[in-house]
Amino acid sequence: MATRRTFLKLTAAASLAVPSITSAQAGGRVVVVGGGFGGATAARMLKALEPKLTVTLVEPNPVFTACPFSNNVLAALREITQQQFGYDGVQKAGVVLAQTAATAVDASGKTVTLSDGSKLPYDRLVLSPGIDINWGALPGYDEAAAEKMPHAWKAGAQTVLLRQQLQAMDDGGLVVISSPANPFRCPPGPYERASLIAYWLKIWKPRSKLLILDSKDAFSKQRLFQNAWAQLYPGLIEWVSLSQGGKVTSVDPSTLTFVTDFARHKAAVGNVIPPQKAGAIAQQAGVADRTGWCPVEPVAFESTLRPGIHVIGDSAIMGGMPKSAFAANAQAKVCAAAVVELLAGRKPVDPILINTCYSLVAPDYGISVAGVYRPDKGVLADIPGAGGASPLEVVGGFRGQEALYASSWFKTITTEVFG
Amino acid sequence: MTHRLLLPALASVLLLASFLGGGPVRAADAPPGASSCTGCHASQRIPDSVIPRIAGRKASDIVQFMREYRSGAWPSSVMGRIAKGFDDQQIDAIAAWFAAQPE
Ligand SMILES: Cc1cc2nc3c(=O)[nH]c(=O)nc-3n(C[C@H](O)[C@H](O)[C@H](O)COP(=O)(O)OP(=O)(O)OC[C@H]3O[C@@H](n4cnc5c(N)ncnc54)[C@H](O)[C@@H]3O)c2cc1C
Ligand code: HEC
Repeated sequence: MATRRTFLKLTAAASLAVPSITSAQAGGRVVVVGGGFGGATAARMLKALEPKLTVTLVEPNPVFTACPFSNNVLAALREITQQQFGYDGVQKAGVVLAQTAATAVDASGKTVTLSDGSKLPYDRLVLSPGIDINWGALPGYDEAAAEKMPHAWKAGAQTVLLRQQLQAMDDGGLVVISSPANPFRCPPGPYERASLIAYWLKIWKPRSKLLILDSKDAFSKQRLFQNAWAQLYPGLIEWVSLSQGGKVTSVDPSTLTFVTDFARHKAAVGNVIPPQKAGAIAQQAGVADRTGWCPVEPVAFESTLRPGIHVIGDSAIMGGMPKSAFAANAQAKVCAAAVVELLAGRKPVDPILINTCYSLVAPDYGISVAGVYRPDKGVLADIPGAGGASPLEVVGGFRGQEALYASSWFKTITTEVFG
Repeated sequence: MTHRLLLPALASVLLLASFLGGGPVRAADAPPGASSCTGCHASQRIPDSVIPRIAGRKASDIVQFMREYRSGAWPSSVMGRIAKGFDDQQIDAIAAWFAAQPE
């Protein structure tokens, strides 16, 4: 074993040899994996806050396809191209784009391996890989099954496939959506999807019905959704809760059948929103725990399992904050500021974060849920008295106004991240 | 967009200002909560956004709005629910930060 003296000599020699690694003044190297709402925001923000940093964003897709507003694509209210954003803006902001996948992380050697085998060294790593489908968690549902019963929970080809299936369906067909247990990406998303598909069915296939099979007894903005369904789509949407036997235990893609403990539901169009987990690279890096998600501390979102690695967005366990694009963007800005402080040898201050999820029940009928969060006893906790859902009783154009605010939010956030 | 025509160095300074609403104030010095406001109230101008712009507004106006949203004295769709998460001191700091940005 090296004595303390030789150890000190060795580190001194090492830092002379590679001064850029150890000297905060020289900038530092931050690698960000995942160019979605969390990662692209973090990369831009890091570079903007500390131009001396070398910030590399690792993302294999040349174009990002955003999930928020992708339910409008299903209802033919938008085209998939309106969901797509390139990385020119990110690169113009001084971020180096590595257009490839990260295949491995060496947390002790502080390197990220890319798909061509090359290694990127980092002083701090930010992971925002989003979700992976937990294939195998729902018997019968695998990659091949998703071509028959699309999840459309990662926007893109899957969204287009589900839209095509809806358009090809005969009037009078049964659309079935299965919704997973918590936690999962975008808690109000399945119910916004049901609403907008119902909106479309009512116009184009008015004899059709929509069934939601749920693995939960309660869901986000539930009373707002259910009141709106009764008002806008009476008799069209049926929601079967967990205790009513709604939990799907397996699917049969060859017959588009959803199996529960009590019944078999054969669909004309079947949308499986499957169980999920943190993106595979998070598992590989050793920052995910047995739940499949990544525990982090609530100030800089540094992994509690692997120091030097920060996890933001859907992959992370963020206390009371839901998995949303709004939250990923807010976490990214806080994380970037904290990483700059840590690299400069300073302690980041306790943050406050906001989340707001808008949902459309119809194109001109918006509802929202908000929360304000701060670190408390080691987790991000709701600030009591703040947040909550839109009021149940409203007058005048309130819902229409929230629908307009929803699309303004989407334009704002996508400009901030990719513009 | 005009800043495409600028020299890179100048453009990146402006980009910093526009992304973070920087101006003379560094975003690193953004008080707690402020970086979440920009998810809806961007620093850059967003064509056809109906969410009001607050960058460059008088600090006292922002403070008054926030307090009245919080108490419910001024009606809102979402700001009442958000403002309830902030105390007077935090509102003052956020208002000063937005006021220091280019309008
Ligand atoms: C139908 C639907 C509707 C939604 N609506 C809303 C909404 O209205 N409002 C809202 O706030 N949120 C909404 N969401 C949720 C939102 O899409 C997610 O919460 C958000 O995208 C999370 O951001 P992220 O950065 O964690 O992941 P993502 O945005 O998914 O980004 C992850 C990125 O990482 C990349 N990646 C993964 N692995 C690797 C690797 N190994 N190497 C390199 N890159 C990698 C991926 O290619 C991807 O680009 C919705 C989601 C769905 C499915
Ligand atoms: C989810 C989107 C959203 C977030 C996040 C948000 N706002 Fe707002 N803000 C709005 C909307 C929408 C309005 C219009 C009032 C309403 O309906 O709530 C508004 C109005 C305002 C106004 C009044 C401006 C005017 O001229 O009428 C101020 C000031 C303001 N917000 C400050 C803030 C501050 C400070 C924060 C962060 C603490 C913040 N907002 C976060 C959406 C948001």
